[in-house]
Amino acid sequence: MHEAAITAALLEQVRSFLPERGRLIEVHIEVGEMEHLDPVVMETLFAVSTEDTRMAGAVLTIYPVPLSVCCENCMENWMPEDPALLVCPQCGVARPKIIEGSGVLLRSLEVEESDGG
Amino acid sequence: MAEIPVVAKVLKLNDELAAMNRLALADAGVRCVNLMGAPGCGKTALLEATLSALAGKLMVGVVAGDIATTRDAERLIAHTPHVTQINTGGSCHLEAHQVRQGMDHLPLTDLDLLIIENVGNLICPVSFDLGEGARVAMFSVTEGHDKPAKHPSVVLAADLVILGKIDLKPYVPFDESIFRAYLANMRDNLAVLPLSATSGEGLSAWISWLTDFGAGSSGFRVNLSI
Ligand SMILES: Nc1nc2c(ncn2[C@@H]2O[C@H](COP(=O)(O)OP(=O)(O)O)[C@@H](O)[C@H]2O)c(=O)[nH]1
Ligand SMILES: [Mg+2]
Ligand SMILES: [Zn+2]
Ligand SMILES: [Zn+2]
Repeated sequence: MHEAAITAALLEQVRSFLPERGRLIEVHIEVGEMEHLDPVVMETLFAVSTEDTRMAGAVLTIYPVPLSVCCENCMENWMPEDPALLVCPQCGVARPKIIEGSGVLLRSLEVEESDGG
Repeated sequence: MAEIPVVAKVLKLNDELAAMNRLALADAGVRCVNLMGAPGCGKTALLEATLSALAGKLMVGVVAGDIATTRDAERLIAHTPHVTQINTGGSCHLEAHQVRQGMDHLPLTDLDLLIIENVGNLICPVSFDLGEGARVAMFSVTEGHDKPAKHPSVVLAADLVILGKIDLKPYVPFDESIFRAYLANMRDNLAVLPLSATSGEGLSAWISWLTDFGAGSSGFRVNLSI
């Protein structure tokens, strides 16, 4: 449900990395499973809010990152199938630390540099 | 075509502002709790009961987040003058810069404890660090015992779980052992405090928790007789 806030933060960040004369072609982001963000909503918000800017028409490519956790008891790493079932398969204790699968990461931008500068 | 590698958290700015809030709170000797729960789970009622229990013992400030309206602040102002309402204008969570605005309206150096009532929502608030020292996830018996299993993110983020409205247990199909089992499937060492803001049952354990959490770090402790 917080797609709008995340997309706004993303746009702000993209803008700060975009070279003055560059035209944005593509943005690559990683979205953790635990963020519960709808990729279609993100893409739509991204398209609408970049209209009439140097970012217009750019593609937002979203790489979903599944949850992966580390057991604080025995240090076993695993990828739970169900984020509500986090009992360690190795030692049977439920004390997981999230390693991956939360947060949103801006990975890279693809930019077309215009000449004549 | 050029590729510009970035690799940065999209909420980096929020995280930095949260870190500044955390510093400002530590400087002022204020401990801070972020209270998260669904709309109507009883957050404001719990804060009302908490403020009256702590009256004369701790100086408590509240930042109340809501999409619109100042209704919560109006309820809380009867118990403490140190309340600010933040209207998020449609947004489903509080962000660090909004909490900062709230903090700027409070006499931080006079406060011992700041409680943030987040916008009623069990999903979105989890993504936004506010600078709190502890996160409390609040459920209530009227929501059904399956809610932790449906909201693992908030359970993973929480330092404490509150189960509210236990005075209504006889009237609703809520099985506390199932509720606890769902939590234990994710975190078997997460503390759960069942309580009722209405009857006062369980409130003293919550008040002790509030009084003690982070006490070591700020060297702050108070004697309570409730
Ligand atoms: N029976 C009972 N009702 C409660 C309790 N806590 C809150 N309520 C009621 O639940 C409703 C929602 O409470 P409120 O504090 O506004 O919830 P919030 O949206 O989480 O802040 C109100 O009608 C409260 O009177 C409780 O412990 N027991
Ligand atoms: Mg409220
Ligand atoms: Zn939301
Ligand atoms: Zn283990």
